[in-house]
Amino acid sequence: MKDTVFFKDSLCSLSISWEQLLNNLNKKKLYNPYCKSSSFYEIFEHIILSMLLGEEIILLDGDFSEQEIEALVGQKDTTTFDKPVSSVLSLSTSADLITKISSPASLWKITLFTSGTTGLPKKVSHTFSSITRFVRKGDAHLNAVWGFAYNPTHMAGLQVLFQALLNGNTIIRLFQLPRDLIIHEILVNKITNISATPTFYRLLMPPDFKLPSVQRITSGGEKFDKTMLGQLSIMFPNAKITNVYASTEAGTLFASVDDAFSVKKDFASFVKIENNELYIHQSLLGQSEQFQNEWYCTGDLVETVSQTPLTFRFVSRKDEMINVGGYKVNPNEVEEAIRRIDGVADVRVYSKSNSVLGNIICCEVARLNPELTEPLVRTELQKSLQEFKIPRLVTFVEKVQVTRTGKIKRS
Amino acid sequence: METLKEIINTVLKNRGKKEAVMINADSHLRNDLGMDSLDLAELTVRIEAAYDVDVFADGIVRTVGEILAKIEK
Repeated sequence: MKDTVFFKDSLCSLSISWEQLLNNLNKKKLYNPYCKSSSFYEIFEHIILSMLLGEEIILLDGDFSEQEIEALVGQKDTTTFDKPVSSVLSLSTSADLITKISSPASLWKITLFTSGTTGLPKKVSHTFSSITRFVRKGDAHLNAVWGFAYNPTHMAGLQVLFQALLNGNTIIRLFQLPRDLIIHEILVNKITNISATPTFYRLLMPPDFKLPSVQRITSGGEKFDKTMLGQLSIMFPNAKITNVYASTEAGTLFASVDDAFSVKKDFASFVKIENNELYIHQSLLGQSEQFQNEWYCTGDLVETVSQTPLTFRFVSRKDEMINVGGYKVNPNEVEEAIRRIDGVADVRVYSKSNSVLGNIICCEVARLNPELTEPLVRTELQKSLQEFKIPRLVTFVEKVQVTRTGKIKRS
Repeated sequence: METLKEIINTVLKNRGKKEAVMINADSHLRNDLGMDSLDLAELTVRIEAAYDVDVFADGIVRTVGEILAKIEK
């Protein structure tokens, strides 16, 4: 494993081997519980250091403003929390490193902030067991090469980091790369596993080439996009495609091969659906002041497919529903309908406040065909959507806007 | 007035309705032009984009003349 790459970031022209990682960690003299960096590698190194020291790490997004930091931490400058490292690390091999981080001190915890769309982000802390609940170890995972397609300070990115880290794998940055570079990185590095949002995969379309090295594709963070499934199978002919349900509050909870999640026996008494909303028992959650009750209301609207075993489909985020003159519109449904139109590469549906109806539906469309016009989009949508769900304003863009988590931006 | 006429007809056309040949200040948006609340909502957005005025901000406007008065204010 000596020369194996630990992390490669083509945007920063950086490639760090496992050996270099060990050397860098062995030289550490200071530790700061607050981690704020725009460098993915620095974030990974900081997380590993916290595990080796058994100290809490608090992840701040690299693009948090000074005001946000002050509101979250109590002061703008987090460098004042630097303290000397208590002992020399003396890591000898990567196997030694993996053994040590596989059982961090019981005091170790990782704190991150929920990427809420309103108000100040909320703090959630996870222990080693809750953050690595879905990490799989073993021979089958030893040679995996991971495409890293998430923000590294958010839950989904951490899931990929721990899966790769605890198996001694290589991580290749794909997040925020342009399409051509993503494809180049997958080909050159023979990436075997990618976990990303449907939005990320859509940006790779159309499937006009094949990426045979990829063996597993995981989709999560947004509603599973069935239209895209067929296209993904063309682009990744050797990949098994899995859909996962994860949240900052609970980590990864469910996985499925399609859009219906079946709750496993072990979890059956910790999951319930009330008024079409998904509730998770507090024992599956991290620690946070926001978890006051025994059951945590996820804010995810679901459709129950069967009771035994409990099987459900994600419908939308409760706060995503747009109220148009008293009618509730699910932006995911509108996006799915628009994506089915020929010549549409990607779409973002959002609401705009309106003095007549409270809100109206608008959309941005990235088109493959310049002949696709607003009237054509509307005519097509009239075949599949109720009139109040059809966007009143269609604008054509080069690329749809996404959030810092890589999901579709709704506001 | 010409731009406003165009906007009104775009909205009508978008909803698969017949374009209005005769539009004047007295034209009633609902009764004469056959606009419903979805059309009016779209009309506000398009007028706002063209003139930077939310013509329905102070309540529902009934005629083309009332829109013109707000735009020209």
